[in-house]
Amino acid sequence: MTIEKPKMDEGLRNELQKQGVFTTTLEGIYNWGRQNSVWPLQFGLACCAIEMIAASMARYDLARFGAEVFRPSPRQADLMIVAGTVTKKMAPQVVRLYNQMPEPKYVIAMGACAISGGPFKQGYNVLKGIDRYIPVDVHIPGCPPRPEALLHAFMTLQKKIENQPLTGANRPRHLQADAPSEFPVPKFGVHDLEPPSNPTVWQSPKMVRA
Amino acid sequence: METLEQIKSRITHALPGARIEIIPNDSPAGQRSLLVDADHGAAIAQFLRDDPELRLDYCSNATGVDWPEAVVKTKIKKQVIVEGVEKEIEETLETLRSGCLETVYHLYSMAKKHGPVILRLRTENRSDKNHLPSLTPVWRSCEFQEREIFDLYGIVFDGHPDLRRILMWEGFVDHPMRKDYVGPDDYDYEPTPHDDVLEKTKQHQAAEVKA
Amino acid sequence: MPGEYNPYLFIVVMVVAAIAFAFAPLLLAWLWARKFSPQKPGPDKNATYECGLESKGDAWIHFKSEYYLYGIIFLIFDVETIFLLPFAVAFTGLGAGAFIALVVFLLLLVWGLAWAWMKGVLTWR
Repeated sequence: MTIEKPKMDEGLRNELQKQGVFTTTLEGIYNWGRQNSVWPLQFGLACCAIEMIAASMARYDLARFGAEVFRPSPRQADLMIVAGTVTKKMAPQVVRLYNQMPEPKYVIAMGACAISGGPFKQGYNVLKGIDRYIPVDVHIPGCPPRPEALLHAFMTLQKKIENQPLTGANRPRHLQADAPSEFPVPKFGVHDLEPPSNPTVWQSPKMVRA
Repeated sequence: METLEQIKSRITHALPGARIEIIPNDSPAGQRSLLVDADHGAAIAQFLRDDPELRLDYCSNATGVDWPEAVVKTKIKKQVIVEGVEKEIEETLETLRSGCLETVYHLYSMAKKHGPVILRLRTENRSDKNHLPSLTPVWRSCEFQEREIFDLYGIVFDGHPDLRRILMWEGFVDHPMRKDYVGPDDYDYEPTPHDDVLEKTKQHQAAEVKA
Repeated sequence: MPGEYNPYLFIVVMVVAAIAFAFAPLLLAWLWARKFSPQKPGPDKNATYECGLESKGDAWIHFKSEYYLYGIIFLIFDVETIFLLPFAVAFTGLGAGAFIALVVFLLLLVWGLAWAWMKGVLTWR
């Protein structure tokens, strides 16, 4: 069931705009502000980070999207770009950094390794995708993805932020008091991380028997 | 640079009692190597570094090899006289090769600009007698690589200044680059063209159903 | 008294406006947080160290007193360069007296360094 929000009449709005009066909603201006100042956390894990750096430089110019300020501290970051191979040894650190970011926070998993383990899947030392431990908003395939792909992921994330409702039952996690902000950090086990995945975030895909 | 035979004879001359074997290489590279006994390993390494003719002052690479116990089949051609006619018959000989762990060092000389000389050391077996002398006191560049070999193959280097795991975490059990390493059974279903992955997924899920 | 003009009224208005300008966004943010976004503290988020690793041990450790002596000696020569730079710029226009005065100043500092060196402050134990 969706509750239709009272909206301003489009014609009246256009008429006012012609007179120089701009109207918006609180939700609209809130999301507009957030989507245009997404500050990523400054860290890279492998070769995808090189493409991320290229995306932030003059040629691809991530600054156009308000995301040029790569923060060296998780306290000031809104977005975590997991760029590269997440090894099992590194995964607890990545999750802990994610936990230390303030809400609202978003995650882009960049590259084949970050989304699934990529060429190292089922290797003894590589995590099979960071989405096993933290909720990922945008996945980018590619090995490594080109900077344009990262820009596209960024625009996808901006669209997602734009459409997040401020009130109502389906408002995003950071506006709900009982939704968790921290996710359990995996421990080092005998052969693998324990637990191997966070079931509240990720479930194994089911085999479809034809 | 001297040939391996010359180097071998000079080492045996300088260090009596050292057992050295030249390992042939059939591949197109044809890079032969010196197999050195573990007891004299450090002394031979010292000799190779300090000898004025060789001056192998740079160890560019140290790596490990796992040789599990295996049946080696070798084909031998024989001349057999059958019914008065000489015939050529191929016979396969099966020999049991005992397992061992091996380290390989690639040595170069920066001063003399030659190399590589490849040095091999083998442990007695793969389980309890897995000690080898560390060559880190001779070539400092071996330190992290020997740690990596220790981590991934389980060769214990005597005389290494800081022998800890380097890639895997403390508390990890087994050595993942050994051929008989069994990884965790965590095959999830995925649409993949790799049959062995699908097979392992089926086994994994069957085990889950039983449990 | 209506109509009376006080020249300091401007300043009062400016001060009030400045304070409001500074505090209104904070107040709005606080109200926003109260209304919409709930606080979610946690053990990881409240941790001091921000490098992803768990901090080990205690940060309140004794520091060697040699470090401070070392630091002070460094600071003296650091500040000395501030004197040396204008001296070097104006070097050609200066007389012999200024040169001697600065050399004496330098030698005094070097003497101090030599004394500290002999006392063994520079060796890190």
